[in-house]
Parts: sequence; structure tokens; C-alpha cells
Amino acid sequence: MNTRDHYILTGARVVDPARGIDEVMDIGVANGIIVEPSSIRKPEKIDLSGNIIAPGFIDIHVHLRQPGNTGAETIATGTMAAAAGGFTSILAMPNTNPCCDSAGTIELIKRESERNAKVRVYPCGCLSKNSDGKEMAGIGSLKNAGVVALSDDGRCIQNNELMRHVVAYAKSFDLPILDHCEEESLKGDGVMHEGKWSVLLGMLGIPSAAEELIIQRNIIFSRMFDWKIHMQHISTRESVEMMRRARARGIKVTAEATPHHIALTDENIKKFDTNYKMNPPLRSEDDRQAVIKGLKDGTISIIATDHAPHTMTAKEVEFDYAPFGIIGLETAIPVCLTELYHSGILSMSELVSKFTVGPATLLGLNAGTLEPGTNADITVINPDEEFVYDVNTSFSKSRNTPFHGTKFKGRAEATIVGGNFVYRRKEQ
Amino acid sequence: MSISWTQKDLLEIYDLTAAEIELILDTAEEFKKVCLRNVKKVPALRGKTVVNFFIEPSTRTRVSFELAEQRLSADIINMSGSVSSLTKGETLLDTVKNIEALQADIIVMRHSAPGAHMLIAKHIKCGVINAGDGSHGHPTQALLDVFTIREKFGSLKGLNVSIIGDILHSRVARSDMWALLKLGANVTFAGPATLCPREFEEVGVRVCHNLKDALVDADVVNLLRIQHERQADGFFPSTGEYSQFFGLNRDSAQFLKPDALVMHPGPINRDIELSSAIADGPQSVILEQVSNGMAVRMAVLFLTAGAL
Amino acid sequence: MTNKTLIFDKSRMDEALTQISAEIISEFKPGTKSAKPLALLGIQRQGVPFAHRLRAKILELSGFQSLEGVLDINMYRDDYSLRKKKLPIIRETDIPFNIDDCNVIIADDVLASGRSVRAALDALTDYGRPRLIRLAIMVDRCRYEFPIRADYVGFVHKAPVDKKILVEFEESEGADGIYEMLWDKAGVFKG
Repeated sequence: MNTRDHYILTGARVVDPARGIDEVMDIGVANGIIVEPSSIRKPEKIDLSGNIIAPGFIDIHVHLRQPGNTGAETIATGTMAAAAGGFTSILAMPNTNPCCDSAGTIELIKRESERNAKVRVYPCGCLSKNSDGKEMAGIGSLKNAGVVALSDDGRCIQNNELMRHVVAYAKSFDLPILDHCEEESLKGDGVMHEGKWSVLLGMLGIPSAAEELIIQRNIIFSRMFDWKIHMQHISTRESVEMMRRARARGIKVTAEATPHHIALTDENIKKFDTNYKMNPPLRSEDDRQAVIKGLKDGTISIIATDHAPHTMTAKEVEFDYAPFGIIGLETAIPVCLTELYHSGILSMSELVSKFTVGPATLLGLNAGTLEPGTNADITVINPDEEFVYDVNTSFSKSRNTPFHGTKFKGRAEATIVGGNFVYRRKEQ
Repeated sequence: MSISWTQKDLLEIYDLTAAEIELILDTAEEFKKVCLRNVKKVPALRGKTVVNFFIEPSTRTRVSFELAEQRLSADIINMSGSVSSLTKGETLLDTVKNIEALQADIIVMRHSAPGAHMLIAKHIKCGVINAGDGSHGHPTQALLDVFTIREKFGSLKGLNVSIIGDILHSRVARSDMWALLKLGANVTFAGPATLCPREFEEVGVRVCHNLKDALVDADVVNLLRIQHERQADGFFPSTGEYSQFFGLNRDSAQFLKPDALVMHPGPINRDIELSSAIADGPQSVILEQVSNGMAVRMAVLFLTAGAL
Repeated sequence: MTNKTLIFDKSRMDEALTQISAEIISEFKPGTKSAKPLALLGIQRQGVPFAHRLRAKILELSGFQSLEGVLDINMYRDDYSLRKKKLPIIRETDIPFNIDDCNVIIADDVLASGRSVRAALDALTDYGRPRLIRLAIMVDRCRYEFPIRADYVGFVHKAPVDKKILVEFEESEGADGIYEMLWDKAGVFKG
């Protein structure tokens, strides 16, 4: 990729919700930092007219599968997919093998990222040892090793006594908790949303209550300990409603929604295509509308992909047996622009904040803005380009997406990390 | 004049139009005559290879398909899940691709996982016939059920058909429902509240938890087998209670119209969902269902083979 | 606008029916004491009205009512895999009598390759053992692919390969007539 030291991005519409900016202006980059354009002598000018420039997008829910499942993805391929999707930073989920419950695994990830990652990789530690939900993980040493958050993603601590201790302890190390909210006995062997379609199709369902019960638990603990608990991938009307009420009371809870929960519903399962199988499952149209409303009124402040690569061998089996999860780094911006921006539901600034201000605030990162002095992490978006997504062009090792062949309007045009162009669409 | 039956697979009733269902039934009528004459065989599938792949075990359906295939002069292989390479960890796709490599023409498969047939049909050239996929569907059962009803009533338009029992876990109920709705019948599901979900009302089915309501105007009553395992799982307290409230016996049968048909996909739990008196009585067409199943399966195999 | 041209009209058809019926009566002398049962079996589809007309004509000429049945041969074809996914509809087979020891006359509208008759012979022998089988044909195109020839023929007409012969009857198509018509490339009628 091109390495430039000093340049000015000109002609683009700069959308920086952290500073309330939405106008055409120049952005200056020098030595990997954003600077006032006027301070650069003899800058190279890069014309980005027709595009949108935003602070580098942050995806706080990405499975890189390294160590342990590199057949599906590696740090190198996953971060390349992130770059192609317009993301400059990602939070790597800890359900690797071995999982991130010890400093050693965090070190491995950091070292591998330094060598091969295309974008910034922030490590996330486990809440419990082996994510088993029985004993607390070494949260202090994980903090020292460099994690910026804690999660048992994939699993969820069921023992409330343990969870309360984890919340209190995590707070003392200033680590937000990202919880995959799922009550295990209600989830059972379910493979799709429990509703009209699971009944019509004769499949075991996962009731909305499985998510809602844990969200309520987490709201209570967040209030009790006055600590940041973030609900990953919320998907039901009641979940959004509970979050709305909790946030109105000032409780420190946040939530994210995934692009697939914004775009798709459980009716798609009638094709028995495992590219529609994920957890939490695609829900009803009513739930989808509630999630969109939650994004609109700020109840849901973050969009995250839950990029979950699986090999074709793993996914091309009977629906009941397939693992949950789909890739999503490269379709996040097209899906969100098409479903939320072009449909008039969110303004560009509101949409950009879900990928910038929202995640940066949760994780306490000095990012998510184009204020001079911050890292030159920049996302360039072509908001109007219409195209048909071809998964075979993906940089991910995996191909498990429901969006192959879907028409979108808008996509990532270029991605800049620390001043370097790590992705430029026209050169592909 | 020819028709284009271009579908190499029969995966679910949901995919078929009413005209396509009627075509299968008309074809089955002629094959039924073959089964009733002295030489019960025609050369229509001569030289074709059919593999019966019953991963979920079955006796009745498998025998019915086997005999149908023999009467069409096909060559047959029987495979069951327990002796296939699936037990060695081979994926379903690899297993069926191996079957395809043996130049099989049609695979008749029963599987406990819903949608398994859709998965394999996409990847192999063989015709795929669904002999049951979990609780999702059993299209040939639905076809033989509507064939039996049509034989007696001529047309299904406006007929009241009640299906009674464990609807929640029943692939027969689901496939019957789609076939009946497409042919214009009025469908009622009846059973205990835990086993008879109201969500079916959203596709136009009447749902009730009272046996009498389901019987009074019914032209056809289809009893489903109640499985003892459901009692262990907590869906209902005992088979005795089930039988008392949902069993069709002399007492409840008094609510039936005199010319109403009594059907059951088999095997019957005598005196639980259906008493012997009714099962063996004049309104029962249960054994005819079995004969009709043969004819319907011959028709389905014939049409599928023609589309390969 | 049609490519359909009339080659034999109603009166010619009637002549042919009369002639074939006379030949049958002459050979089988139905109604006499020693005669075995005589049956006319129409091959679906157009053989069916043809057989029906023959039966009526035999009755008119001899006073004798022969047996009648219909036979569909589509379960006995030899060309399923060649038909490019256009499956034949299986029509009614109804043989309401025992064909054992019967004199059976198979009736079909057109004899071309002879394969349909071959299929009819196989089908018939799965129903029993006739005493003998004869073949009555309205139009013989002489495009034989099998060593099968008709015993009673209405017309010999060697139409070109690209033309189909249509034999129509008042009871099924509205009027009697035998026509030539162009096939198109897909094997479907033009016009």
C-alpha cells in the first residue's frame, strides 16, 4: 500500500459527529497524525471529491480465529477484510483456542498483530477461565497484558453470584464488560428464533426471553456497581425497550446491533441456508423494526459486525448441525448505508457515530474523531455507488455470508491507518 | 400433449402449485390401477438406479418406497444411517456425492434434520425425494393423504379437515397443512395447548384445544400418533389424560358426521389416540392410505425420473 | 393463420372407417357361435375416438357390439430420457374385461415409427394373454423404425418429416378431418 508522509485529503464531505462537523473541508495528515492542513508544507493533494471522510471506523465485535482456528481466518486475513470494509480498528473477541484468559495468549495476539495486521487490533480478555462461567479469569493480569475490554463472547456467565463479582472486579481495573446475553436453559438446542417461522418449519427455537432475561440481569448489576456493561448484538423488541428505560435512568449500559439484524429476518430460514444461522438468531420483522428504532433514538449507540468466519466444510451441513455465525466486515458499510442512510432513517452523522463515537467512548479509546492531534485513522466512503456484492472478492478466508448477490448502494472507498492507505478500492 | 414436470426433486409441498399437486394425483390414479392388476409392474424406471437412504430409520415408508421402485422396474440400493460412513464422521454432502458417483439417478432420503434435502439437492444431479426431514415435512405422506380424500370426495375445495394430536412435532401435520390449503380445504389443528401452537393461525389454520370443536363439522379427521417421549418431556401429564381429552373413540366419535373419513398416518397407538373400534370401523380409510401411498410414490418417482 | 392443411375430409374418413370395419367383420365374423370375444382397444389419445368409431361402425354393419377399452402406453415408453424434460401425461387406462383369449384389435390414429405400438404390445401382455392382436391404423406414414406393420389401414400417406399428421374427430376436436401441419424446431405445433 502507499506510504505517504504528508498529504491533504481534499474535496470530500467530512463527517465527524464527535465535533459536530458535517461539511466539505480538507483534512491534513502528517507522520501518521491528523494535522491542520495549513501546517503542511508542500503537501501532496489527494482529491476525494464525491466521497465522505469519517473518523476511522471501529468494529468492537470481530472473531479473528487466531490462535486455534486459522482454517477459517487469521489475524492477517481478518484484518485485511476489516481494511476492505473500511475499519481502522477492531476488538478481537477472546473465544480463540486457547481463549484469551491468560496474558500469554494476549501476547501472542499482540505480537502476531504487530507483524501481520492491516489495521489496529485491540485485544479483549475473557471474563471467566476458559469462558466456562465457573471461575473468574485473571482480569488484573489481562489488563497488564493490554486488553481494553472483557467478554466471554460465545458463552455467557449463568451464575449470578460469579457475575456480580466479575462486574465489581472489572470496574476496579477500568475494563468495560461486553456480554453475549443468553440464558442457556432457554436457548437449549434452539437453532433459530422461536416464533411463527420456527413453528412453520418444525425447528427448535431460541425464545427472545433467553436474551431479555440476561439483559435485565446485566442492567441490574450495572446499576448496582455503577459500571459499564455493554450488551452485544441485541436483537429483540423487549431488549431495546429495557435498554431505553435503563439508559433514561442514567445506568451505564450500552448496546450494539449487527448489520444482519438490521437487514434480515427469520423468514429467510425457510431456505435452510446456513448463511442465515447465527446467534442471536435473526428475529421477526417486528423485532427488526424495534432495533432500527433503537438505533434512531440512540438507545443503541454502536453497530458491530460479529464477524464470525467458518470454513465451508463447517457450514455446508444440515442446518441443525451448522455452527452459528457469518462474516460481516466487508458488508457492514454497504448494508448500513442501504438500510439506514438511503432509506432516510439515520443521517450520515448519526450513522457514522455508531461506528466511531459509540465504540470509542465505550472502550475509552482516543479515537473516533478527526480532531487534529489524533491518529490519522480515516474511513473514506463512497455513499452512492451501486454494486452487487460478490463474496468471492472477499479478503476473508471464509465465505459464509447471506449477502452474496445482494445489491447495495454505498461502500468503503479507502481506509487509512496511521496515515497509511491500507485499502484503496480502485487499486483492487 | 406433454407437460413439463421439470423438477428433479420433491423437497416440500410448500414449493408445489395446486396444479402440480393435481398432476401428481392424476398420475397416481393410473399407477394405482397397475397395483391392482395381475402384473403389478411397468418398465417405466427400467435401468434407473434408486438409492433409499434412510438415515432416520423407518419401516413403513421405506417398504412403501422400495415396493414402488420395484414396481417401476428400477434397481434399488438401501442404505441406513447406522451402517453408512456418517458414523465415521463423513459429512452428509460427501456421502451423497459418493452415491452420485455410483451413477444413482434418484435418492430417497429420510433425515432427522430439517432442510437436509434442500442442502443435498443443491449439490448433486440426482433427483432427491424427501421421505421425511425432522419435524419439517413429509411430502409423499401429504400427497397420499390428499389423494385418499380426493378419491372419496372428488374435490378438496371447501372440505373441513381436522388434524389432531402432537402438531408441534409433526412433519405430517405441516405437509398436510400446505397441501390442503393449496387445494382449498379448511384446515383445523387440534391438540393439547402445549403441542398445538397458535402460530399456525397466521397461515389460515384454525387452532383449537378442544376435541369436540374439531370434530363437529369435519369431513375428514386425521389422527396423529402421540409419542410417549413427549410425556417424559413434560408436554402432557399422561397418555390416559391425552386419550380422555383428545382420543377418538366411540364417545367422541358421536360428534363426527356419518360420512366423515377417519385417517391416520400410522403406526397407530390403539386406544390412545384412536380406539380399535373406530380404526377398524366403516369410516376408517387407514388401510387405503397405505395402498394409495404406493401409487403416489410410484407417481412421484416416475415424474422425478422424467425430469432428470 | 395456420399451417394446417386438410388432406382427407370427413367423407373420405367415413369411407376408411367403413372399409376397415368390413375387413374386421370379414376376418372375425363376430356374433357367430364359434367367435371368440372381439375387443377394440384405443391407444391414448387419438386412438380412443378412432376405436370408438370402429366399434360403432362394426355395430352398424354387423349388428354386433364388440368390447371396448382404452390404453395409455406412457409407462412403457423407451424415450423418457430423450424428451428434454417434457414428460408425457399419463392418461386413463381402462380395460373393463378380461383380455385372456380375446381377439384384440389395437387402434391408433397414426403409425409412424412403430414404437408406440411396441409399447402397447408390452402393456397389453402385462394385462393378460390375448388370443391374438391385430393393429388398425387410420394413417400409415411409412416411417418404420421397428418391424411393426398395420393389419388394417385407412390411408397410406408419406408426409414429409417436418410435418405432423393430425387425425381429428367431431366428438373430441369438433369436426372430422385429417390434416398435415408443420412441426417447429422444438417439436411443438406451429399454428
